[in-house]
Amino acid sequence: MNDHDEDATAEQLPVRERRRLQTSRLVQYLLLQALIVAACIFALRQSLPQPPAEYLVATFGLSERGAERAVTLPHFSSLRHAMDDPPRFTAQFNRPAGEAGRAWSVFLPRFTNGVEVAVNGAVILDSRRNPTANRPDRNTPEIAVIPASVLRDGTNTVSIRLFIWGPITGFLDRVWVGPDELLRPSYDLRTLIFVTLPVVFSSWQAILAVILGIMWVMRRHEPAYGVLAAAMAVGVGQAFLQTPMGETPFSRLNVILISSAPIESALVLTFALLFAGWKWQRYGWILFIPGVLLALAGVFGNQAMVRALFLILAVPMVGISLVIMAIVTARSVLKRQNVASLLLGCAVTIMLTCWIADLLSVFQMTPNRIFTARLSYSVMLVAIGAGLTWRFARALNEVDGFAGRLVTQVREAEEKLKASFVREEERARAAALARERTRLMRDLHDGLGGQLVSIVALSERGNGSAGIGDAARAALKDLRLVIDSMDDIGGDLMLALGSWRERAMAQLRPHDIALDWRAGTAQGLPVHPELRPWHVIQIVRLLDEAVTNAVKHANARRITVRIETLAGADGFDRGCITVEDDGKGFEITSDGAAAGAIKAARGLRNMRSRAARCGAELELSSCAQGTDQGTHVRLTLPHRFPDSDGAAG
Amino acid sequence: MNSLSDGPKAEAITVVLVEDDAPTLWRLQDALAKAGYQVRAAGTLTEARACLAQGAPKVLLTDLQLPDGHGVDLIRETRQRFPDTEIMVISILGDEESVISAITVGATGYLLKDAFPTDIAATVRDLVAGHSPISASIARFIVRRTQTTPEPPPGPALNTAKLTPREIDILWGIAKGFSYAEIASHLGLSRQTVPGHIKNIYRKLEVHTRGEAVFEAVQQGLIKL
Repeated sequence: MNDHDEDATAEQLPVRERRRLQTSRLVQYLLLQALIVAACIFALRQSLPQPPAEYLVATFGLSERGAERAVTLPHFSSLRHAMDDPPRFTAQFNRPAGEAGRAWSVFLPRFTNGVEVAVNGAVILDSRRNPTANRPDRNTPEIAVIPASVLRDGTNTVSIRLFIWGPITGFLDRVWVGPDELLRPSYDLRTLIFVTLPVVFSSWQAILAVILGIMWVMRRHEPAYGVLAAAMAVGVGQAFLQTPMGETPFSRLNVILISSAPIESALVLTFALLFAGWKWQRYGWILFIPGVLLALAGVFGNQAMVRALFLILAVPMVGISLVIMAIVTARSVLKRQNVASLLLGCAVTIMLTCWIADLLSVFQMTPNRIFTARLSYSVMLVAIGAGLTWRFARALNEVDGFAGRLVTQVREAEEKLKASFVREEERARAAALARERTRLMRDLHDGLGGQLVSIVALSERGNGSAGIGDAARAALKDLRLVIDSMDDIGGDLMLALGSWRERAMAQLRPHDIALDWRAGTAQGLPVHPELRPWHVIQIVRLLDEAVTNAVKHANARRITVRIETLAGADGFDRGCITVEDDGKGFEITSDGAAAGAIKAARGLRNMRSRAARCGAELELSSCAQGTDQGTHVRLTLPHRFPDSDGAAG
Repeated sequence: MNSLSDGPKAEAITVVLVEDDAPTLWRLQDALAKAGYQVRAAGTLTEARACLAQGAPKVLLTDLQLPDGHGVDLIRETRQRFPDTEIMVISILGDEESVISAITVGATGYLLKDAFPTDIAATVRDLVAGHSPISASIARFIVRRTQTTPEPPPGPALNTAKLTPREIDILWGIAKGFSYAEIASHLGLSRQTVPGHIKNIYRKLEVHTRGEAVFEAVQQGLIKL
């Protein structure tokens, strides 16, 4: 129920301005409360409609503790306990002749604590049998029809015995004896106000207890709800559990129920404190001491003791709670300026006024004894219900607004993400396409382009038909290589070497050179998931170069291709491809190039650069004489092929 | 070629050569004639049918893209009419898609147009001798189709599901460039059984399964002969 936004606006003001504003608010609030108090006093002073005055029996003879005297009702008895020898009020009333056909009744608007009414010696009413009437805090009226056989024309006697059991002194309001139809409307009105209405409010309290309980279960971090739910539950129990009079096992329960008043007020006070932002402290248990003491007295003592203690403990406890709540809610209203605090504050003021009126009545400082504190408690219930509803509606509005904002934000974010995703995808596709185009162009330029140019040159010379054939065949071979390299070989270089072997065999067959293919193991070379078409094309061209050198320059009879997997020193397996020939070999100069023909030298340089681009190591050795005659090309593949064609630039 | 003395009598071997590009046709014709084969040349589908009407050749060598039709139709007809004729496709690049479609209607191999004359003759001779040459890239293509793909790639439907694991192992070996001998030793087979498996692979991929499909279709009344 906090309104942080309003706190924030208040905090932005300078201190003096804020203080002035607070003072003016306080004055406004106090004026409003004063108005409420005045209205309450006005309302309390209103007396309820009464039956016709001619049937009022006000003058009684009172026999109390053996003494007789005349009294005028309403009468306050000084006794606090009179169960065995109750005061007896006796009066005469007159029924006119000819009224025998009308039913007559005795109407007692208010009495404490119990009455026994007899007409002409016959008992017609004993209020002690009505548990509701037994409770001094309920202003229960009673009406009893006088049986026709008892009543006679002329003078009749009505006698009332007043049973008193504390904690307050006895009281008997004025008594009416007359035709039932004239008395009953007044009785009905009082029943409605003092019996039916409290039941309605207690039902409302029960509903609140359930709602608050559910709220607390769902929102454990707000203990204020739990405390208030407990208060409501205690109140409901106190209202609906009624036990008969007398010392029965149930009466233990009865006295504990009496102790519920201070417990309930302590709980409501705790709620008000928590609601105002107070943190629960250990000394908070002090609030519950009066209620607990009263309950203990009920369990271990007797009813009289509980009743005596009730006046000392419970009544002041309720008063103190109300005063503290009035202060706390006033502060809360000033600080937060929210509807819930204001409603609660007004309710507390009304309750406090009624409590003071009740106290005055107990001490016989007002002429009547109608207790209104309990009735005014319903105002508090209404305030709590209204505050809860107000807060619920507000929270719903906030949630709606928040959800709306969130939906908008999510949609915006989604759209941005989608747009950026599309952009990114397009960019990636364009980049991949451009990369692939560049690679294809370079591969075709390196091979096919050069060969086509040489075909053109040879055809222009007109005499090199054999050369044209070779060049065209080489061009086709290269075309196949480029197309092959686009194939997905899943990183298994062996699949590319398989096709290469077929092409190499076809190339070597016319020259009568044998190709000795030695794969060390069944799987041949390690699988490289990172292998890309341009790696494959470099390796295959490098091997082509080695074979072409052997054919063209070495006069070799046999070429051996050895495929192995070597366990490296770093624990990784590396593929190794060796191409050896038994040709005449050549001298390798200090810079690693061949000393022989320029073309061969360029071929070797090409091989080195291709190996470097793939991150592979190339070893070249050649021997022109002896048993080791021939050229030895050894290509050691990297553990991982490089991502980018760094060496090519 | 002196090696011809090892094979069947050259006079008995007739080859029908279907190729629409004249220089290529001459080149292939020369290579085959020099090796002693009796060559009947055709430039179109119609001419080829006329050649075939004269009698069953031992070998049919055909290009796929012909001026008046597709070579696949010719292969299918030939396979149905002359089950004993060996059929080869002439291809420029050996692209798997068209070679496989030829195999599924009855071809048993392919020849590259730029192959050396000696290789052209040798390939035909191997075919006649009962070998079924299969290249690394074709073997790889067949195995790839065998491996279950959620959506079958476009192209001819292959009965690859009928290949046994052993046959697939052999295809892998060929795809990786191993020789028959190496495959046999890796798989623990005798050297002679490998070509047999390869012939089975061809047989499984080719017409007779298609014939079954036609039979099934006729049975179900889907087509009328």
